Amino acid sequence: MRLERRDRFAELEALLWSVEKPVRYLDHEWGACANQEGPFHVCLLYPDVYEVGQPNLGLSILYGAVNAAEGLSCERSYLPWTDLIDLMRANDVPLLSLETSSPVASFDVVGFTLAHELACTNILEALDLARIPLRSCERAEDDAIVVAGGPSVWNCEPVAPVFDAILLGDGEEALVEMCRVVREGRAARRCRRDILRSLARVQGVYVPALYDVVVDERATRWGRAVPRPGEDVPRIVLKRSLARLDESDPLPQKIVPYLPVVQDRLAIEVLRGCCRGCRFCQAGMTYRPVRERPAKQVVAAACDGLTKLGHDEVSLTSLSTTDHSQCAAILHELNAVLRERGVRVSIPSQRLDSFGVDMAAEVAGSKRGGLTFAPEAGSQRLRDVINKNVTDEDIDAAAANAFRAGWRRMKLYFMMGLPTETDEDVLGIARTAARVLELGRSLVGRAGRSKVSVSVSVAVLVPKAHTPFQWAGQLPLAQLRRRQELLLAANRDRAVKISYHDAEVSQVEAVLSRMGRQGFELILEAWRRGCRFDAWMDQFCYEGWVAAAGACGLDLDEIASTPLPADASLPWDHTSPGVSKGYLQSEWRRAQEGLTTPDCTMTACTGCGVCPVLGVDHALAGERHAQ
Amino acid sequence: MPSRGARRQDQFRLRVRYRKDGRLAFLGHLEVINTVNRCVRRSGLPFAVGAGFARRMRLQFSQALPVGASSREEFFDLWLTERVGADRALAALAGATPSSLAPSQAGYVAHELPSLEAWLDHSLWRVGFLGPVDEVALARGVQELEGRGEFSYRRGDTLKRVSLQDTLMGWRQCGSGAATTLELSCATGAAAALRPRALVTAALASQGVADVPALRVERLAQWYEQDGRRMFALVPDGGQDHLPPRDRHEK
Repeated sequence: MRLERRDRFAELEALLWSVEKPVRYLDHEWGACANQEGPFHVCLLYPDVYEVGQPNLGLSILYGAVNAAEGLSCERSYLPWTDLIDLMRANDVPLLSLETSSPVASFDVVGFTLAHELACTNILEALDLARIPLRSCERAEDDAIVVAGGPSVWNCEPVAPVFDAILLGDGEEALVEMCRVVREGRAARRCRRDILRSLARVQGVYVPALYDVVVDERATRWGRAVPRPGEDVPRIVLKRSLARLDESDPLPQKIVPYLPVVQDRLAIEVLRGCCRGCRFCQAGMTYRPVRERPAKQVVAAACDGLTKLGHDEVSLTSLSTTDHSQCAAILHELNAVLRERGVRVSIPSQRLDSFGVDMAAEVAGSKRGGLTFAPEAGSQRLRDVINKNVTDEDIDAAAANAFRAGWRRMKLYFMMGLPTETDEDVLGIARTAARVLELGRSLVGRAGRSKVSVSVSVAVLVPKAHTPFQWAGQLPLAQLRRRQELLLAANRDRAVKISYHDAEVSQVEAVLSRMGRQGFELILEAWRRGCRFDAWMDQFCYEGWVAAAGACGLDLDEIASTPLPADASLPWDHTSPGVSKGYLQSEWRRAQEGLTTPDCTMTACTGCGVCPVLGVDHALAGERHAQ
Repeated sequence: MPSRGARRQDQFRLRVRYRKDGRLAFLGHLEVINTVNRCVRRSGLPFAVGAGFARRMRLQFSQALPVGASSREEFFDLWLTERVGADRALAALAGATPSSLAPSQAGYVAHELPSLEAWLDHSLWRVGFLGPVDEVALARGVQELEGRGEFSYRRGDTLKRVSLQDTLMGWRQCGSGAATTLELSCATGAAAALRPRALVTAALASQGVADVPALRVERLAQWYEQDGRRMFALVPDGGQDHLPPRDRHEK
């Protein structure tokens, strides 16, 4: 039932004395949009706490775009922490928006960010707290239209029953179009079903209710989604892609939080997309093509943002910032302008070559904390399998450069459970770390304050939809644990610290990444058994998930580790980021043969299909060169 | 623009009075510091940075307010590298600050003065209630705690013991039911500070009342006391002592 739109902050305020970090629930931040006159009201809901959701740049982009549109108002809401959730339920207070403290269930459109698979139970928690029916098919005519978008839409089937519509790809134009479609449908008093049909005609929008899941010999056990008989919807929904990043607002982040958030700095998106082609990386496949902002625009936006917002750090964000064709010029100019203002510049990761270290040195100033590189695999053979075009010589040269430039702490990211991985590859991680450590010691010595150290962080491969590894199974839990122990035992030096991701969390993530629509029953059962905030290590309850799977007749280990047949229709084949399935199959074959594929922004087209299928092209600000 | 080159004696200590109210009463002290830091950066004032490695803005605050407490007068000292007119500085800060933390007065003070946190050792508080409260039990409870001379309360895992002899200079209760208010005149004690919310909870608990309605706690004023004389961080506009008469609260 649609709740009445009115300010209910007083009900919340009475509870804030009893909770941790009440500042999460206040609104009134500098830059928040106070004018919420509508008349059409949209609420963007991030299914995690404020300090995780607020720095999300995608959310800032959408908030700005909807609020700038005539007749549309956009507010934010975040899932409260467990203490307040429980108090709100006990005191009969529904989930509220931040700006006007109106019930989320009073909005015309509620838009969720799908940031990662482990937020699934939080989506149900948020809807339940908001008093919006969990399933699309249970909603009344005047209930909010519940939509979703974000980086984790690429196998959205397990949460498909929740959403009335799901946006694939870039949202800055498409979300506004979706809201207008709903507004016009409401104004014309069309029924909910008809409004959903209109939404399905917006390019990039998938409406799950208009598709049936068919389990047949062409599909995996999870079936394949096909248009319902009589519904005029595309067989494959292609993603939405913004053609020119340089024509969008370079400074979408306008709100300055009161509490420290996970990325507490000004973020400028310098480029979108990455064509390096790492075969495990979903973002590398789903955000193509590459679109850069010109250096001038980046520098001007950074200076403008720092003046208007008051941050003391600016981050140049993207999937691969040092690949920007004008990266050196941007960093050089920013440093020249900002050095005297006491402002730090940061880039999210370094390339494993001398250019990457030069760029890190450019932004580090006199500070030399830790430097992070991501070789991803411990042997050349396995790095070729995953298409990480980095050699042992590259790693050594980058590390030597970094030690000579003054860094003493090196952080190395690896993955475990990659296809074709053997014990020897795992031992290669320890050998790589030891080699980097020895290199550091030989260059800067062993003693005193110059002591070098290496941290190794090992993630577990989660095979993701629309990547060449989508057919691979995850390494079974017992195998993963054995290899983690093997790696720990191989480390003989206390200056090398090894940490690894929780294998059980990665298994649940893999399960939710691979299942079809049937996955919803698993998520629902897990949520009913108390699972929420699964991405928080102190909240994650593996036993809850195992019990939920048992109740649904499922086996988590079997689902996560069983490879999918290369010729079958996959549960996500009806949604497409533009990369052709043939290309992914070819990359999967090349991976098994140990053949690498170059970056098409630095060489020639590699035939992924994105540009012709979407009618777009790379939009680079300058020429890129392979290092 | 920040500057670390300027010598300390070439810097100017601007004292700013501001309020903290509305929803922003729920900001913690660190969040207020962080927010004011960003307000100063937005204001464009020529702030000075410390000589340390971290290049922090030179900014000092009066004593921390408990989370949830609002205030009519809080203070911070900001060191500038240029002597900007106090009115101009105030206008620049006001234009860069959320209204619930709005600065209301600014003036330059001597470098030699002690830090605000150490100096302002007295304060006046008002507690209001968002629901009905047993005003008789409240008054009796405060009297009983006063008689004992101390009370204790749990904050997280820590048991705090507050000496009322050192911290509670006087109190006064007005109104009844939901309109009940309690005014507390406090001094900074050697040990734990007196938190009005903790006092009210302990006072009602001493009378067997466990159900404490939600509160509104407000700091009305802060001052330094020497030889029975009140001294203020900034002379209020108009030059008048803005506190209620002394005998309204004192024991």
